[in-house]
Amino acid sequence: MSSTSTVFSKILVLDSLAKDSETIKALCEDSALIAIRPQEGGAANVLSILGSNIDLGGIMLYENYGGPMAGLALARSINDLRPELPIFLRRDRQSGNAGIPEKDAAMFRCAYTAADLSTLRASLDSSIFNRVYPTALVRGIAEITQASLGALLPHCDLVMETPYLVKDRIIFGEVFTLIGIETNWCRGYMMLQTGESDFLGLAMGDRAPGEALTFRDLNSILGEATNMIWGGFKSRYANHTGGTNVASSVQVPIIINHQRRFISFGSEDPQLCLKYQFRDRKNPDAEPVYVYQRFVFNLNWSPEDMVESPAVESMFESGELELF
Amino acid sequence: MAQILVVDDSGTVRNELCDFLTANGLTVSSAVDGKDGLEKLKADPGIKLVVSDVNMPNMDGLTMAEKIRSELKNTTTNIVMLTTENSPAMKERGKAAGIKGWIVKPFNGPAVLASLKKLAA
Repeated sequence: MSSTSTVFSKILVLDSLAKDSETIKALCEDSALIAIRPQEGGAANVLSILGSNIDLGGIMLYENYGGPMAGLALARSINDLRPELPIFLRRDRQSGNAGIPEKDAAMFRCAYTAADLSTLRASLDSSIFNRVYPTALVRGIAEITQASLGALLPHCDLVMETPYLVKDRIIFGEVFTLIGIETNWCRGYMMLQTGESDFLGLAMGDRAPGEALTFRDLNSILGEATNMIWGGFKSRYANHTGGTNVASSVQVPIIINHQRRFISFGSEDPQLCLKYQFRDRKNPDAEPVYVYQRFVFNLNWSPEDMVESPAVESMFESGELELF
Repeated sequence: MAQILVVDDSGTVRNELCDFLTANGLTVSSAVDGKDGLEKLKADPGIKLVVSDVNMPNMDGLTMAEKIRSELKNTTTNIVMLTTENSPAMKERGKAAGIKGWIVKPFNGPAVLASLKKLAA
């Protein structure tokens, strides 16, 4: 299990100049960014990456990536495909949008030069790291989730990867659960997402030979995991606090596009994403199976009011009967 | 006639619990929510112990417990909640409904078997 609860964000770096990449690398390390660089293959490869399941916080794009001013055309394609992802444009000669058509300029959160990264830093902070998830919350969520998933899949080794912030809205896998989270300091949703056949294969490892599992079994396991995490969250962060928030009747529509595997909660704030990797101990050479967990506090977010239950330790003495 | 009625909307939990209890010599039936649980108990009033989730569709476990006492006038069947909930307010409501105990999920069979057997006797 991971012991860290530092929150990073992944950023796709489309900048092929080595000297600037070194500069960018240093900036990424300073800014808690994990840089992802595509293999060669041009714009088509970039769009293919964006169509896959990489949870991105944003894109750093060089204006001449792929050829003179080719970055601009690529930005248009990216913006068409994934408008929720902020694009940070590096320019050769000058920062700002001078020389970029007005309708294109709106695609960029900032336009900076390698000689002055202060503009980029400020834009990264305001676009990706504008929402701070308290370390105690991230750590608590990780503990609750690992305890819950571990109880349901006791035959598996479970590793949590470093938590990160995402701006994209792509749904991973074929099945996800969604449950409301409500305290007097936060309101929103939690999602668990996974691949159907991969997860079923994993769950089969705990069953008797010949016992078949269907997607309904997967629904049940994932549903129970969601329920357990929700209960743990509530016990740890909600039960001991006061009444419900006055705005608790507020709702916004959730929009799901099945074809594009896209879900929007109406908020552009970065979501907290935790990724859990499972391996069946009896089959250690098999490909790992992943469950993604996302928190979207789109209805209320006042972490300064967060209070953790003082009885949190006793909550993990779960499974025992408390007689009245 | 079953000794224990397991009430949970999660098939995973129902199966796990029923398999565990059956493997340990207890007779078990199950229900998918509080409403179903109430019907099952009405049909089989000899059930000694109800082990129920709290958060379920149609009727939650605490409402079911209250109705077992008030509508079915059943004051002898023991009721234990098996739930992710751990709030003192809910436990107080459960106590007021006459439930005997509270288990926070995940279920740890060996830790509670002896107590459940006693309550189902």
